[in-house]
Amino acid sequence: MDNQSIFKYSWETFPKKWIHKMERSEHGNRSDTNTDYPFPLLCFLKLHTYTRVQVSIDICGVDHPSRKRRFEVVHNLLSTRYNSRIRVQTSADEVTRISPVVSPFPSAGRWEREVWDMFGVSSINHPDLRRISTDHGFEGHPLRKDLPLSGYVEVRYDDPEKRVVSEPIEMTQEFRYFDSASPWEQRSDG
Amino acid sequence: MPVPATRKDLMIVNMGPQHPSMHGVLRLIVTLDGEDVIDCEPILGYLHRGMEKIAENRTIIQYLPYVTRWDYLATMFTEAITVNGPEQLGNIQVPKRASYIRVIMLELSRIASHLLWLGPFMADIGAQTPFFYIFREREFIYDLFEAATGMRMMHNYFRIGGVAADLPYGWIDKCFDFCDYFLTGVTEYQKLITRNPIFFERVEGVGIIGGEEAINWGLSGPMLRASGIQWDLRKVDNYECYDEFDWEVQWQKEGDSLARYLVRISEMAESIKIIQQALEGIPGGPYENLEVRRLDRARDYEWNDFEYRFISKKPSPTFELSKQELYVRVEAPKGELGIFLIGDRSVFPWRWKIRPPGFINLQILPQLVKRMKLADIMTILGSIDIIMGEVDR
Repeated sequence: MDNQSIFKYSWETFPKKWIHKMERSEHGNRSDTNTDYPFPLLCFLKLHTYTRVQVSIDICGVDHPSRKRRFEVVHNLLSTRYNSRIRVQTSADEVTRISPVVSPFPSAGRWEREVWDMFGVSSINHPDLRRISTDHGFEGHPLRKDLPLSGYVEVRYDDPEKRVVSEPIEMTQEFRYFDSASPWEQRSDG
Repeated sequence: MPVPATRKDLMIVNMGPQHPSMHGVLRLIVTLDGEDVIDCEPILGYLHRGMEKIAENRTIIQYLPYVTRWDYLATMFTEAITVNGPEQLGNIQVPKRASYIRVIMLELSRIASHLLWLGPFMADIGAQTPFFYIFREREFIYDLFEAATGMRMMHNYFRIGGVAADLPYGWIDKCFDFCDYFLTGVTEYQKLITRNPIFFERVEGVGIIGGEEAINWGLSGPMLRASGIQWDLRKVDNYECYDEFDWEVQWQKEGDSLARYLVRISEMAESIKIIQQALEGIPGGPYENLEVRRLDRARDYEWNDFEYRFISKKPSPTFELSKQELYVRVEAPKGELGIFLIGDRSVFPWRWKIRPPGFINLQILPQLVKRMKLADIMTILGSIDIIMGEVDR
């Protein structure tokens, strides 16, 4: 069973209320689902004989600030048995909580911590939800599009206090935005 | 599985972010009961540099110097994946010669990475000598890289559509000499390490992972292959031109640290085989798909036409990523390195998610050390082969 036939099979077998739409492209197949359903969907994918998706490769958050449900959580999955990959996507906004997939996929624990840390999308009943990459007193969720690239605070070691302090950032040169309006003519058709 | 405590109070020891073995800044909080380890908790984030957010503000060609800093020991793989993503998005063909050069560079980088895994692994166990020997071989690889790319470690060599410059004259002969020399080096390591009884005592039976468990935890690379699963992305995915060479996937069955060591050593020898075949069969031709640099790809002009514009030296920054999403992956020496790329019809990617192999492989550490002694933590940590640069990004 190759990539496309798993996709077609699962499209036919899934309960329709689980998925919004499924899309296939040459760059990988994806299926979109609602926030309540990643857990049953992924359990199905993992345990069902003809899909056997046993490996959660990656859980990724994406921020589209222009949409109403601005965050999108993407689960990248791999089936070693059938050598095929599939993506499951869920949309959430700042206060929606998604279901964790740690019990079928133990490797997802840290990915969900990272999605929480970087975007602020938390999981209900996650065994261990705390920050993973940012500093211990960091406020904010870095990978959201509204946090600027340089952040808001900078840290330095303060000798009188003998510890590291955080201070509002001081930019010695203006932020260089490498604008796409290049001296050459634009490539896009417009 | 609860371990019976022999004392009433357990000791909590912090193996702090700085420690002498070269794994990087990883903090382990270990709960000990005498010499037995009850639990171990890794704390990451000490080397988080915001690579993913930076990627949203740089074009691909501007981002290439950053990517070698993820996994700074196997730098060609990070570059390869950075250019593979846009190439697949834009359906850009890589010329044959460029593909062969890439394979040679990738395999040399794999050897370099496994060498620098071997040195600190042996140093953690207690053997100081291999640590010096590996640098001798790694210096030869550095010399080869410097001749071809200009830099010893952080080469900025791969480009969208090929490589940045062709191989210099005489490089291929030097590479052949290196391959012959390296095979004698591998036999030296076999003699020194593999039949060493002290090494066996330290490493055999330590940190056993079963095959099913390895798949469940999402391991990849030598950790998976040492547990009996023959999963190698170079064979499965057939990217670049690996299917034109004759080589085998190296795997073992036991799943302990000795098996992982054996897998990596034999992978080094296998890489030499691939390099030799590639060097013998390297075709002529262009080393870069220069069509990528052609401006105005929408309108298809004839070569040398009046309106055909082409800048030869500076790459055009307007390589536009189309509005698609893509997950591209390579078989890095540590495991499966992946990029999840969402383009946005602009020169900057909208989301660039790095899937580092070390991040996932490190998750299994608390499981593995649960019944082990304190000294086994370093053996297991060493055999997982992590680099904090990519774990934290």
